[in-house]
Amino acid sequence: MTEPLPAALVRQLRSTVGDDHVITDPNRLLVYESDGLSAYRVRPRAVVLPASTEEVAEVVRVLHAAEIEIVPRGAGTGLSGGALPTPDGVVVGTARMNRVLEIDARDRIARVQPGVVNARLTDATRPHGLYYAPDPSSQSTCTLGGNVAENSGGPHCLKYGVTTRYVTGLTVVLAGGEVVRLGGAGREVADGLDLVGLFVGSEGCFGIATEIEVRLLPLAEGVRTLLGIFDTMEAAGHAVTSIIASGLMPAAVEIVDKATIRAVEASVFAAGYPTDAGAALVIEFDGTEEGLDADADRAEACCLAAGAREVRRARSEEERLGLWKGRKKAFGAMGRIAPDLLVQDATVPRTRLPEVLAKITEIGVRYDLQIANVFHAGDGNLHPNLLFDRADPDQMARVEAASHEIMSLCVDVGGTITGEHGVGVDKRGYMTLVHNEVELDMLRRVRRVFDAEGLFNPGKVIPDEEIDAVAGVGAS
Amino acid sequence: MESLATILPASAMAEEPKDMPDADLPGSRRPDAVVRPGATEDVAALMEWATREGVGVLPIGSGRRAHPVRGDGRFVVLRTDGLAGLETYEAADLTLSAGAGTPFGTVAAALAENAQWAPFDPPRIDQRSLGGLVANGLSGPLHMGYGELRNHVLGLTVVTGDGRTLRLGGRVVKNVAGFDLLKAVVGSRGSLAIITSVVLRAFPVPPVDRTLYVEGATVGELLKHALEVGTAPVLPASSVIVDALAAAGGRPALVVRLHGAEATVAADQRRLEEHVGLTFRVDSGVDHAGVRDHASLGDVLLAASARPSRLGAVLDALDALTPTALSVDSYGGRVRAASAVPTGEVIDSVRSRIEDVGGALRLFAPSMDGRAAELSTRPRPGEQALVEGLRSAFDPGGVLWPARF
Repeated sequence: MTEPLPAALVRQLRSTVGDDHVITDPNRLLVYESDGLSAYRVRPRAVVLPASTEEVAEVVRVLHAAEIEIVPRGAGTGLSGGALPTPDGVVVGTARMNRVLEIDARDRIARVQPGVVNARLTDATRPHGLYYAPDPSSQSTCTLGGNVAENSGGPHCLKYGVTTRYVTGLTVVLAGGEVVRLGGAGREVADGLDLVGLFVGSEGCFGIATEIEVRLLPLAEGVRTLLGIFDTMEAAGHAVTSIIASGLMPAAVEIVDKATIRAVEASVFAAGYPTDAGAALVIEFDGTEEGLDADADRAEACCLAAGAREVRRARSEEERLGLWKGRKKAFGAMGRIAPDLLVQDATVPRTRLPEVLAKITEIGVRYDLQIANVFHAGDGNLHPNLLFDRADPDQMARVEAASHEIMSLCVDVGGTITGEHGVGVDKRGYMTLVHNEVELDMLRRVRRVFDAEGLFNPGKVIPDEEIDAVAGVGAS
Repeated sequence: MESLATILPASAMAEEPKDMPDADLPGSRRPDAVVRPGATEDVAALMEWATREGVGVLPIGSGRRAHPVRGDGRFVVLRTDGLAGLETYEAADLTLSAGAGTPFGTVAAALAENAQWAPFDPPRIDQRSLGGLVANGLSGPLHMGYGELRNHVLGLTVVTGDGRTLRLGGRVVKNVAGFDLLKAVVGSRGSLAIITSVVLRAFPVPPVDRTLYVEGATVGELLKHALEVGTAPVLPASSVIVDALAAAGGRPALVVRLHGAEATVAADQRRLEEHVGLTFRVDSGVDHAGVRDHASLGDVLLAASARPSRLGAVLDALDALTPTALSVDSYGGRVRAASAVPTGEVIDSVRSRIEDVGGALRLFAPSMDGRAAELSTRPRPGEQALVEGLRSAFDPGGVLWPARF
């Protein structure tokens, strides 16, 4: 049972951020009980919503002095339980820190508060002919602060790279409330230790980023989008390998499998993909208009040579959105098939995709579970979606065991347990698949450099020293 | 150093310290031993021993950037060239791994056989070891089109100061399993750990690599054009000003590279020329190594950085040092300069002026020994505490003797 915060402490927090921005009412706390991984739910003692670096620093100082755990939270769209509250802790949310502080079109730099929504940043920079490249699927709601914490990716990261490539500077609040500026335009990455690179992806365990400086790119002049329809997933996988090996650099290469196609086509999101197809491949090129048709022609030839049944090409923005629809609406469509969905996330070397997908299918059959695959094929980033009903304990146990097997499989072929969703609480038990005890101990030591007492986001990322090696859905 | 021979195989013992070529450790006192381990396990044994015995360890890759060692204390030189050779190369996955002591040229040659390459170009890359490049962390002007070196390093095997072996990152492009310690090690110049193996991301060689240049009377005049290139609707692979380009008869020039298919490159050139308002000369004879290495040799090397729009002020400040060579990577906001040894007052004043516009100045000055470290960029107070914390987490015995520049 969650213990309420002492009244004096609540008063202190309210005097810092304002009465309305310290939430202790159990009904209002409900929405903060979980993030995008709703299998885990914990009610925090309170939620505090500061509006500035100074307010974050003061809130952290007060909570630190009272030895209260702090769980940073962006939009709560994360899929690994990284923003899951702790029963003794307070959630510090960045929702009010949603201002774009600076857009310098000349130097192609933007400085934002952490609560700025990813897609809003590009909206703000588009009039300058610029955009922010990393585009997680949740970009219309997820925030830059959350992206920094998780080192988020997205479909177009194949060509452009993930969040860490674009973050040039951070202002962070560390344990105790100290405000530290890391990096920043005007300093080279190679100038001293890369503390910005280390902080990005630290999943709220090092501190709270309160200002984020990012590099912007010029908007691509043109885009070409193709949809390849294949009878088998294996053929689609070979097409991907052949496109990349041919030296083409698509902006995105995404695959949806048969189960996903059927789910989408049976839903309100029907995109016109043939329901008897084994896989659909969305390929996109962007850049200078003149070279795009030639790139698209070569990619089409690769698809046909790999056995594509047909290759469609978008002739308008409307058609482009249509080709993407089956990919983008996949998660929504799966809600029709089963009440619960576990979106897994792992990465394998791209050439191992056909073999790994065949084995995932086999795991699904063996555990009698529906698994639908939607993934960033270009960089080998898999999202096997396990469909289940949490009311059925037997099914829950099978989901957990199948997840563990899928993770082991990906690690065995030279991959890893998470490509872009982070470890959070969900993958903590899998960390021993990729790190030995010496490496885990090093992660703990580095965490202590930033937060000696471990008050920031405890119970995330690193397994406890004595933790059992089993985790997954339903583990706590 | 007798006990060293008992923990390392005979094959890991290199030359006698007295026989060590002066060029490998210029101006330094001799080490107490020189070792050339051939495996990560040997490095781990050495580091564990060094921490136990309180002996310093100075890693030397290609030996091109070694810093003079003076002062007291026993130390061992660790030659990394025993850790050489390609380990794996999965051309279809665009990944390659090799021992840290592998000359970069060996890596580049292997990639070239499959029409692939590693798109970074710090000065004198062809003389460096892979581990040395990663330890140094410098990217070169190609970061404009391809991102920084740190984004091309997918995985590392490192040995901490006290002999713990860590595998950081992996073999795949996207990997967020745990904190990104790899980023801290890339560019740490040997201050955190000894790098023994590197996994690199490879790229397909672009079908066309077109070099454009335009001459100018001064670097300052070319800076205006370079800043326009930096705001163009197309993103070149690189853009750099050198104050003397051989192909331009030794005059200052802005050199821009465009990568891609023929049709793309031709269109990009048109867009760029329209945007900047001038016509570039197309010249496949431009010596890229010469441009890349410009301003990388001299008594004192200066690396200044600032936001692109403030580079004019940086160049004005650097004038006081009367640089003998200068290059400007305006997109990255980076200036490289070579000069004669300046006085401390001049350096202080130049640095203040650069810091006033939000920039930073570093010095690489082997002949100035310890003063170069004093004059290098000062971390901000909060950063300094984190740097020290990380150093003690990686090297609790303080035995790693990093290159101090």
